[in-house]
Amino acid sequence: MMTESWGQFKTFEGKKFEALDPEFTKEVSTLIGGQDLTACFQCAKCSAGCPVSDKVNIQIHEVMRMLVFGFKDVLDTDMIWLCTTCYTCQERCPQGIDITDILFGLKNMAFRAGKAPSGYLSARQGLYDTGRLYPPTEWEREDLELDPVPEFNIDDTKKLLDKMGLMKLEDDTQ
Amino acid sequence: MTQSYEVFLGCAIPNRFNNYEASMRLIAKELDIELIDFEGASCCGTVVLKSIDEDSWLALSGRNIALAESRGHDIVTPCNGCFGSLKDTDHVLHDSEEHRARVNQALNEIGLEYTGTTKVRHFVEVLYELKDVIRDKIVNPLDGLRIAFHPGCHLLRPSNVAGFDDPELPRKVDELLELTGAKSIPWNLKLRCCGSPLLIASEDVATQIIKEKNASAIESGANCIVTNCPACHTQFDVQVLGLKDENEQSLELPALFVTQVLGAAMDLDREMLGFELNRVSLDPVKEILGL
Repeated sequence: MMTESWGQFKTFEGKKFEALDPEFTKEVSTLIGGQDLTACFQCAKCSAGCPVSDKVNIQIHEVMRMLVFGFKDVLDTDMIWLCTTCYTCQERCPQGIDITDILFGLKNMAFRAGKAPSGYLSARQGLYDTGRLYPPTEWEREDLELDPVPEFNIDDTKKLLDKMGLMKLEDDTQ
Repeated sequence: MTQSYEVFLGCAIPNRFNNYEASMRLIAKELDIELIDFEGASCCGTVVLKSIDEDSWLALSGRNIALAESRGHDIVTPCNGCFGSLKDTDHVLHDSEEHRARVNQALNEIGLEYTGTTKVRHFVEVLYELKDVIRDKIVNPLDGLRIAFHPGCHLLRPSNVAGFDDPELPRKVDELLELTGAKSIPWNLKLRCCGSPLLIASEDVATQIIKEKNASAIESGANCIVTNCPACHTQFDVQVLGLKDENEQSLELPALFVTQVLGAAMDLDREMLGFELNRVSLDPVKEILGL
């Protein structure tokens, strides 16, 4: 079986936690939604409502604990990429922590470190090249008498994404 | 009074659910909602680009908002993914001076600026406000239609961003659907995510989730699923094809768009409502819908 580049941290069993990294906790706290991260008191309500809590190796409340402890291996948990982005945890968190938004920031970090499912790499290329995730299906539109989808200036979106460095994200971590 | 919006279709609807766009346009015409073509729209970025790089997502999504803003129009979209992405971008750019400055620096180079004057709305939000007008237009009651309505996540959550309905006990679209004489029935996993955002990372987990969802809808006694999102609909009308439960019972259930249900109840042209393009067989509800 092919070894995935993501989700390789599968259990806490036998793991030794040595020096914890307070700088990592601080870094995550500055992400969009990260401001209240350290208010987590491990009630696990997030995992109770999570649609994938029974499908992941490491659950979302465990991710939150790893973050508060400054444990960077969190980027190797499958929870990062198996989050459906449903926002149920964020909606219900009694401490008002923007859990789902924090996960997006962690995905960004994992992507830059080359730890992302391959589908995201091809989606990035497609978005950059065409500005869309999927092309219109013209024959269906004609049958339903729908006008063509308006075109747009692809040079503009490329200029924008170049400016943000979308195609060079991995360079940051080298 | 005529309402007027630029209509943001996104990528998924013109790609695989042209029936959703066609039925939305028929309803809009019937209700005197003006839909202006959105010139220059790119992908909204959705949770895909947000997962890869938030700065790029804010820039691409911010560009779309800034385009409508430059023409002085509000935006309406029939897609939860686009709605969530555009609303979320608006939320971040409104709250964070730092992000707004960075995005505007990039937008200025292509002659645009985000200031935050354009409103982003979901099509069902607009429909809900026209509830009384819709009630008067129901001429073909859909008695016997037992709907498992799936609101989808980004229409509702996070509620401080979406700002549409109660995130734990939504009822607005259900009210709309029940104007037709159909019943919106309670089901256990109604608020559970459909799993579609996982198709890019793990089709296997996405499939487990849609199996759980449809098993719950079937158990509740529904004879159809109704959605207001092309991403969710991909799970309910495409990915579900051929799936069976552990007893080899089919997990397929007719999947309709909210606009197709309303259109049938208003007795609009069935062909133009695009029922031909629904993948799961509509046989169980064909007569009720007048097909």
